[in-house]
Amino acid sequence: MKYILLPIIFIFQTTFSQETIPNISIKNLKNKSVNVSEDFAEKDKIYVFSFWATWCVPCIRELEAIKEDYTKWSKELNMELIAISTDDSRTQKRVRPMVNGKNWPYKILLDENQELKRALSIVNIPYTVVVKNQKIRHVVNGYSQGAENELYEALKAL
Amino acid sequence: MKYFLLLFLCFSFALIAQNENEEESKKKDYGNLYGGFETNSQLYLEDSGLNFEQPDEPFRSNNYLYLNYNYKNWTAGVQIESYEPNALLNYNPQFKGTDLGIYYLDYKDSKFQATLGHFYEQFGSGILLRAWEDRALGINSAIRGGRIKYSPNSNINLTGLYGKQRSGFGVTNGDIYGFDADIFLGDWLNLYEKNKDLSIGLSYVGRYEPLAFENPNFDELTNAFSFRFDFISNSFYLSGEASYKDEDGVVDSLGNLSNEFVEPGNAFQLNFGYSSLNYGIDITLRRVENMRVLSEREPKTYPNSFGDLNSSLDFLDGILNFVPALTKQHHSQLSNINVYQSLNGVSFVDPELMSAGETGGQIDFFYTFPKDSTIGGKYGTNISINLASWYNLPGNYTFNPPNYDVNFLGIGNKFFQDYSIEVTKKITEDWRIGASYIDQFMDYRFIDGRDPVNADIIVADATYNFTETQSVRLELEKMWSTANRKDWIGGTLEYNLNENYSFYVWDIYNYGSDKPEERVHYLNLGGSYRKGRYRIAVNYGRQRGGLVCVGGVCRFVPESSGFTLSLNTSF
Repeated sequence: MKYILLPIIFIFQTTFSQETIPNISIKNLKNKSVNVSEDFAEKDKIYVFSFWATWCVPCIRELEAIKEDYTKWSKELNMELIAISTDDSRTQKRVRPMVNGKNWPYKILLDENQELKRALSIVNIPYTVVVKNQKIRHVVNGYSQGAENELYEALKAL
Repeated sequence: MKYFLLLFLCFSFALIAQNENEEESKKKDYGNLYGGFETNSQLYLEDSGLNFEQPDEPFRSNNYLYLNYNYKNWTAGVQIESYEPNALLNYNPQFKGTDLGIYYLDYKDSKFQATLGHFYEQFGSGILLRAWEDRALGINSAIRGGRIKYSPNSNINLTGLYGKQRSGFGVTNGDIYGFDADIFLGDWLNLYEKNKDLSIGLSYVGRYEPLAFENPNFDELTNAFSFRFDFISNSFYLSGEASYKDEDGVVDSLGNLSNEFVEPGNAFQLNFGYSSLNYGIDITLRRVENMRVLSEREPKTYPNSFGDLNSSLDFLDGILNFVPALTKQHHSQLSNINVYQSLNGVSFVDPELMSAGETGGQIDFFYTFPKDSTIGGKYGTNISINLASWYNLPGNYTFNPPNYDVNFLGIGNKFFQDYSIEVTKKITEDWRIGASYIDQFMDYRFIDGRDPVNADIIVADATYNFTETQSVRLELEKMWSTANRKDWIGGTLEYNLNENYSFYVWDIYNYGSDKPEERVHYLNLGGSYRKGRYRIAVNYGRQRGGLVCVGGVCRFVPESSGFTLSLNTSF
């Protein structure tokens, strides 16, 4: 069976791909529902959805690294970063104090039962999805030191 | 059912293809096909140093293909799972062969959503119901049945569901009924303009399972209710959840359901905190009594990959609710040796070790010393402190016949404690350092019968950037421990060649064990390649036996040794 699966996947990969951000609502830190498709739809604005968790060290490193350049990024580009916490109820309560403690400038959303993460077939975090005009334009699976520069170049090219 | 859905999928594709022929010239919406693929394969190797024998089928592989098709308001999807020639060692043996793991059909518009087939769901914090997936842990507790969600306006969300919980490629015995309401009061009470918010929630979960007893002392339908609220006022927040579960037979340590030991369950959780620019403090208190909710009362027993008998609960199979341990999730190797799992059920192992739940809490504190301050330096300094302690419920316990009468307030024996402080700092443009200290206590007598342990752990790490994308990271750690395998030492070296390639080698060494055969190294080396939507990783080395934790949950795994290949992508 698995020998059949692999070629099928590559066919799918070349033929189709997820173009739109799923129509899913999750909560923000003010406990309000936010629809990730409809509420991030300003024309030509770039939305960077960055999936993270309070226990994920590379995720925090990435968001810390972007924070240092964030003023420059948002000045040069019409962009906004939305940090989507995939923490479940074990660690979700740590999101709010951590975000403020680290003084992050990002909008935060809570994907508590990982509905959005699953709909985007995200296996491991950090994982970044770049959306413009409700279309997925760029995906980064993972993070290593310095990869924020690669992301910035990709955003500039959009 | 699953064949019906497959047929439906084929039919949809055929229909779309037909439309395409008819209206070739018109630009139209053909829908969207999307999904993902993940494979984790391992070749197990004989390892006399670990006393690990190569299994009969040394190559094992877990594969998942997730396919969804969306057209306007409709979405249909399947997840094909293939455990060939066998699931990875230490996975739930109910995952066998290749089959449809998940299939569903979903309709969604702005107010209404209906799902047929498998779905995931969580009510509140999950204390009554959480259906979810974690492939790394081998958990898929999706519910197979039907669900309706209705939001008449943006202030009310209602959910109703019925189904059976997934177990392996089948389902467990109990019929699950659920209802949940989320009500946001901010608009009605004009709280938003005062920068406040209030919401409340109500849940009901029922499980019906016929009983084999002639004169059962409790109902075949077990009802559970919960109420929650969430209040925010500027930088302050407060939330709480209270839950109650009907009387139900208690399952003993051998997995047998009792008709005499019958108890209700309850849980209370309170969370509050204050957080503002540069700092945040958060406090959670929780008391849980007999609050394990199973989708089938009696756990199943089946042989694992080594032929030993395991309970389905060992694989977190058939558990309908989610009561996570509220402790800090550490990230270094040694700090994950003494890992606590919430003791939320009734456990009567012997007359000295009886518990009916747990009570305790944790405090989190985060602070950033600002840039250009004495401690902050040029780039600022981050500090985080976590204090968590969990105890048995105090009260009177009798072993034979089993019974307990516990107090609502107060604490019993300490189960677990974890106090930690972590500091991270960027010193120069190229250097970043971090250090942490952890003080742990764990009473293993209540968990697996071993001696209680006091442990101290120190971790230090440094990252140096050669160029913008090339860097090296070194982490050193040491654990002093009073019992079990005693002292450990460890180190990790990670090298990022560029944004695509990264390599690592790490080792932990149990040099302090009293038993010479346990004084072994667990050396691992590997690397990963990532590009766009792809990530491929390889690892060669030894797996330490014990709890493996992902996100909020841990599962026991035996020692093993071998070569691992993982790949995942989405499309």
